[in-house]
Amino acid sequence: MKILFQYIIFPGFLFTAIVGMIASWIDRKVTARVQWRVGPPILQPLYDFIKLLGKEIIIPKGASRGTFLLSPVFGMSAIVIVSTMLWLVILSPENSFTGDLIVILYLLVIPSIAVIIGAFASKNPLASLGASREMKLILAYELPFILIVFIPVIKAGYTIKLGELLAFQAKNGVFLNHPSCIIAFIVAIMCMQAKLTLVPFDMPEAETEIMGGAYIEYSGAPLGIYKLTRMMMLFVVPMFLVIMYMGGIIFEGWHILWGILKYVLLLVIIVLIRNTSPRVRIDQAMRFFWRPMTILAVVGVCLAYLGL
Amino acid sequence: MNLIIYSISLSIIAGIMCLFIPKRTRGVAETLGVIVSLVTFIMTIMMFGREFVSKWFLIDNLSRFVVMGIGMFGFLIVLYSLKYMQGRDRINEYYAYLLITIGASIGAVLSNHLILLLVFWGVLGLTLYMLVGIGGSDASSTAKKTFIIIGGSDVIMILGVAVTWVLGKTFIMSGIEVSVNSGMSMLAFICLAVAAFAKAGAMPLHSWIPDCAEKAPVSVTAFLPASLDKLVGIYFLGRISMKMFVLNKAMGQMLLIIGAITIVAAVMMALIQHDFKRLLGYHAVSQVGYMVLGIGTCSPIGIAGGLFHMLNNTIYKCCLFLGSGAVEKRTKTSDLDKLGGLARFMPVTFVTFVIAALSISGVPPFNGFVSKWMIYQGIVDLGRKGDKLWLVWMVAAMFGSALTLASFMKLIHAVFLGQREGGEKVKEVSSLMWIPMVVLAGLCMIFGVLAFTVPLEKFILPAVPGVSFTGLFSPSLVTLMIILGVILGLIIYMLSNFKNIREDSLPYIGGEELPVETRVTGVDFYRSIKDSKILGGIYRAADKKSFDIYDVAKRVLNYFIGMLKYLHSGLLSNYVIWVVAGILVLLIVLMKGSI
Repeated sequence: MKILFQYIIFPGFLFTAIVGMIASWIDRKVTARVQWRVGPPILQPLYDFIKLLGKEIIIPKGASRGTFLLSPVFGMSAIVIVSTMLWLVILSPENSFTGDLIVILYLLVIPSIAVIIGAFASKNPLASLGASREMKLILAYELPFILIVFIPVIKAGYTIKLGELLAFQAKNGVFLNHPSCIIAFIVAIMCMQAKLTLVPFDMPEAETEIMGGAYIEYSGAPLGIYKLTRMMMLFVVPMFLVIMYMGGIIFEGWHILWGILKYVLLLVIIVLIRNTSPRVRIDQAMRFFWRPMTILAVVGVCLAYLGL
Repeated sequence: MNLIIYSISLSIIAGIMCLFIPKRTRGVAETLGVIVSLVTFIMTIMMFGREFVSKWFLIDNLSRFVVMGIGMFGFLIVLYSLKYMQGRDRINEYYAYLLITIGASIGAVLSNHLILLLVFWGVLGLTLYMLVGIGGSDASSTAKKTFIIIGGSDVIMILGVAVTWVLGKTFIMSGIEVSVNSGMSMLAFICLAVAAFAKAGAMPLHSWIPDCAEKAPVSVTAFLPASLDKLVGIYFLGRISMKMFVLNKAMGQMLLIIGAITIVAAVMMALIQHDFKRLLGYHAVSQVGYMVLGIGTCSPIGIAGGLFHMLNNTIYKCCLFLGSGAVEKRTKTSDLDKLGGLARFMPVTFVTFVIAALSISGVPPFNGFVSKWMIYQGIVDLGRKGDKLWLVWMVAAMFGSALTLASFMKLIHAVFLGQREGGEKVKEVSSLMWIPMVVLAGLCMIFGVLAFTVPLEKFILPAVPGVSFTGLFSPSLVTLMIILGVILGLIIYMLSNFKNIREDSLPYIGGEELPVETRVTGVDFYRSIKDSKILGGIYRAADKKSFDIYDVAKRVLNYFIGMLKYLHSGLLSNYVIWVVAGILVLLIVLMKGSI
């Protein structure tokens, strides 16, 4: 029963959805300001979602119906699980909830898998193209990402429990004080951008090239769920980095505000990168992640071994 | 004791009987196969609760679940073959070798005497050769290759057994406990490990598996390289590295290196394949890497993870191969360029295939994730003990897992989703073929969701003492949450305009109708990886078979044979000169002695 509440209301579905929508609003508002526009009202993401629910659902002829409609649902359910796990760890690091670092890493890939399978099921060549780009993007960022998430693990004495990583940071100061983790953090921000498929790594949907790519055939409620999932990811993925490198959020007086600031800082970085860079090609992205980023990550690992 | 003898001899005798059944009476071999494999399966289940040690045989925590696995796969494959092999010739031989294989595998796993083990091991190599050969004339060279690699490793194994005898002064496996510290003991361990590697298909002795997968009948691939050989090979590796030898650090490192290379190299090859079955064949190699890696960590959780991965791998890999067989049966091809869009026509095959594919890619909460997760903990353990290279193994394993996912996404697109050439309708395969797949896919889910209560509790943890989990994962809770999430999603659908669902628009390509022949097959999804600078070179070398130990050995051999050939020119005058020169040399040598 408790799990039901945790999963559906707090810190699961409802909470993640609301914060995700606010994050999405911040994103759009900042983007608008950067482009000298006024920007949408705060409830705009909610309006968008409700509007999509009211629209007709169209399935392309010859597509695999079940797969096409179920994929978005699975993606959303995975991201809600990650959010629940992360928040329960933040709320009480000592009794870690059911899932360690590796579980989170694997669960974070499921939304992408859902997008890919859904796109494949839609029987559209452009969707297939977009999905294959998404898959290649996963391959690209996953290599440095695996390296850097284990840098805090080395620092904290080889534990993969998130609760213990947080406890270690509460005792010895956040990981970002160390040079090795600063390097890791820089790589992590790049990987995060790719995980969220935001510019410059938005080639899976690239509106101007492949017209939304993976999402091209989606409409109505399934598209709404995809959009909601992406809003949630905009909240969950930066939170993961906050826990890994910035000590999470401590629920005591001013610390709460400080914790929220950490997240907002990451969000602003995301928005700024997204508004100031052009889209790269998929092969450029792969080269970027497999060469400079991986080398940087290896340097970070070496520094961590040296105790820095 | 009697149970062991019965279970081994029943299937071997029935197999030999099958060979003598006249060709026209086909039903007999099939009926015999079903009955005998079912009875054997039941006997292996009965063996499960027992402990037994004698001079010849041994049932302990490690061997009994492996034996049960053999029994189960034997029965499922026979069931599947009833329809799959229909209409092929040499059916009687096929069932004969299948049954002998079941018996010999049970024998190999249960034997406690190294010589007995060698005998069963040899029989397994022989039946494998015969079964691959049933694939027809173009399978014969593959069968030969398989036989040479397996047979060659058997020779090394005999050497290993001899050295082990010198060290341990006994052939009885339960009485041997050698610590690996001298050159001799290292030689013994490596020799025995080579046999296990060749059987399971770890690099560099892997090259027979992809060829086999492509040429042999699918049921044979699903039975031997995908399930039975993994069980027997990794069981043997586990037995020698846990019970018979106490590994030192160097041997552990060797296993880790082989494991890591196997994972990454094989999956990179899988990524670019154009043939359904060959692609799966490379995965059958790649997954062995995880098991070897797990055992190589030398920590209880890693070893337990490796063994659990062996069990899981046999389940989903068998299911995947059976799925490919079903597709091939209906479409008559396994070329990814020609397949596509089968999900609508073959829903059962599609769903079971997706479940198995997600399992092999390690998506929680399926079984592949749990065992990989345990192996990762073993690797972290390694780091805690001061091994600086642990991150290399970790990256190999986790990145390998991402690559696995990538190649299965391609496969799912190219076979089940996407668009098919021609696009005529096909039917779902008959229930005799999909029941084994459903059973296996169900096991994938059960072994994942109830991982701690069923497979780990009953099979793995008793076999590996002292396992302690350093991570946290509750598969049943995650499953519960996924189900809740799906319900939430369905509620959202219900709230939405769900009645107005339309299925009539054509795929949107810039407002134009899509010409029928326009299709994205998915085969070239990862072209940009193949074309990249560094990897491109490796891929080209692999295309030339530079990493295939069989072809390399063949080339070296041919080189020396070429030199000998050069001497045999057929010119009499040359020979005379050689003879005279020889006599002269002899004379000089002899005269030197006399003076």
